[in-house]
Amino acid sequence: MIEGLFGALAHLMTPLPFLYVLIGTVSGIIVGAIPGLSGAMLIALTLPLTFYMQPVNAVILLIGMYVGSITGGLITATLLRMPGTPSNVVTTFDGHPMAMAGKPGRALGLGIAASFIGGLVSWVVLLFLAKPLSIWATRFGPFEYFTLILMAMVLIASVTQGSMVKGLVSGFLGMLVSMPGVDPSSGQPRLTWDWYVLNGGLKLLPVLIGIFAVSQVIGDIVTIGKRMERIETRVSGMLMSFKDWRDQAFNMLRSSLIGTWVGILPGIGASIGSIMAYTAARNMSRKPEEYGKGSEEGIVASEAANNATIGGALIPLIAMGIPGSVIDAILIGALMIHSITPGPTLFITNGDVVWAMIATALVANVVMFLAMMGSVRLVARIMYVPRTFLLPVILVFCIIGTFALDNTMFDVWVMLIFGVVGYAMERAGFPLGPFVIGFVLAPLMEEKLRSGLMMTAGSIEPIFTRPLSLTFLIIAILLLLTPFFRVWREGRARRRAATAAAAADEA
Amino acid sequence: MTKTARWALGVSVFFVLVCLAVLWETRDIPPGTFEPLGSAPVPQGTALLVLALSVVIGLSAWRSRGEDPPIDPSERPHVVDAAATAILTVAYVAALQARLLDFAPMTTLYLFATIGFLTRFRLRALIVAAIVSAAMGWGAAFIFTRFFVVDLPGL
Repeated sequence: MIEGLFGALAHLMTPLPFLYVLIGTVSGIIVGAIPGLSGAMLIALTLPLTFYMQPVNAVILLIGMYVGSITGGLITATLLRMPGTPSNVVTTFDGHPMAMAGKPGRALGLGIAASFIGGLVSWVVLLFLAKPLSIWATRFGPFEYFTLILMAMVLIASVTQGSMVKGLVSGFLGMLVSMPGVDPSSGQPRLTWDWYVLNGGLKLLPVLIGIFAVSQVIGDIVTIGKRMERIETRVSGMLMSFKDWRDQAFNMLRSSLIGTWVGILPGIGASIGSIMAYTAARNMSRKPEEYGKGSEEGIVASEAANNATIGGALIPLIAMGIPGSVIDAILIGALMIHSITPGPTLFITNGDVVWAMIATALVANVVMFLAMMGSVRLVARIMYVPRTFLLPVILVFCIIGTFALDNTMFDVWVMLIFGVVGYAMERAGFPLGPFVIGFVLAPLMEEKLRSGLMMTAGSIEPIFTRPLSLTFLIIAILLLLTPFFRVWREGRARRRAATAAAAADEA
Repeated sequence: MTKTARWALGVSVFFVLVCLAVLWETRDIPPGTFEPLGSAPVPQGTALLVLALSVVIGLSAWRSRGEDPPIDPSERPHVVDAAATAILTVAYVAALQARLLDFAPMTTLYLFATIGFLTRFRLRALIVAAIVSAAMGWGAAFIFTRFFVVDLPGL
């Protein structure tokens, strides 16, 4: 472990890889700070540029962007009450009131420091958990993998904000979209409608760029008239004192651990992590009345947790090839583009890439901290770039990036169609995260199911007899039943209240 | 019915149609020869699931009550802007595919037209748009072909 980590750190300290970390992190911060643009969009758009890079350097660049984008959103969340990325929504609750109260530097300083600690804590967990988990995962048979992915899909749908049914539809639709093309198991073309261009299936990149970038551009154009309230950024009060560190230490640690844990759960992003940490901090606070009015604890909890999800989410990706968040699903796509198969054997087959990912998570976190402390005023100005100029330029980049994949205009049309589909889904309240994760995981899920059935001559009995697969299945069923249980419980409480009210009236 | 419910209804109808198309297309796929499952059951099962859940969503959207709260005039959706951008983008991609012009001039024209429309063709904005469009068109062509060695659509 030490050899691999230090080897990767030494590689990162050489000029070119360090430049990639720097470019990745700073561009992530900038994109995260511009409302309407997200890390997922940046990473999806950057993928085509990494085709000709060494896989290790590509991963370094993309993880730098991942770290930067989650933190960059803090600036707009604090100064504009517009979360730069969805993971910064909770930061707006207290960051903006504090900024409005004349302490924008203080709010940003707390957020940056908490982000740094959150990233650091989750990195430690990543370092010590990824390898043992991957060794454990090598014992998985096809049925374990199948039920694990099934559980992940249900989990993603159940915790996604909004309706669980919509989350499930989104996930299953993503799976369906991945199925056209020649079936790798049988060589049989399916869902091609005798159209030869579909024989290769729908590629990941056009679908990703369409769903994340184009749909977002459409959404941003629809809301282009929204006014931004400017707050002057002052750097005074950005540095935390020893007393601040002492007062916030427990909150930071607890929120970081919550964020890391939420990150580890497959498919759940930073936004859920920050909501959970914020709720825990408020419930345990001595000053809960300050929450929502500029509470320092609230900012710290939200930012520590959302950055901690990065390291946490990398754990299932590295150990099992299961994405811990939407951005991780895109990272899996990046690995596959470079002919690297994600999964438990990644440590053996591509140890250099794995250690580069782990080391970059640390170095990018340090770079993020220094860059944010040093350039927050500059970045705060960039977020006022007129969107009327920015959005058409992004569309051109989407087209270039998609075309570069295979030099075919078919991919560009696919991207545009999925942009419209993604926008319509968002307007209708369907979360897009499960769609992408379903799209990425479906081929693996089908392959495992079919190879398992071949081994057992068509019997699904091992799903119920093997302890792990049965456990995953039971968890999936329980997760599916949870909303029904909640509805039943709420109904019962309503009926009881009505009965009590009727009895009181009679009395 | 709220706007979200209307969108949910439309999207769920679209999903139902997609699933029916999937079920139709997979009806003739032969069963597996060397393995028990074959190529059809997984897409068919997935399509059936999406279909059933979409019907549930569509019905609940259809039955839903309630209206959207009034919105601030400054936050009214700019549907015309989005539609115009979509039309210009489709025209731009079609023109690139038809190879009407090289990437750089075509991109410059597209960006100038789109930015111009979004800024309501204000003179000052148009001057900036012309500079940005030309820089982006020729700049991107240079950077992507020379620096990243990536092919670009168009001639």
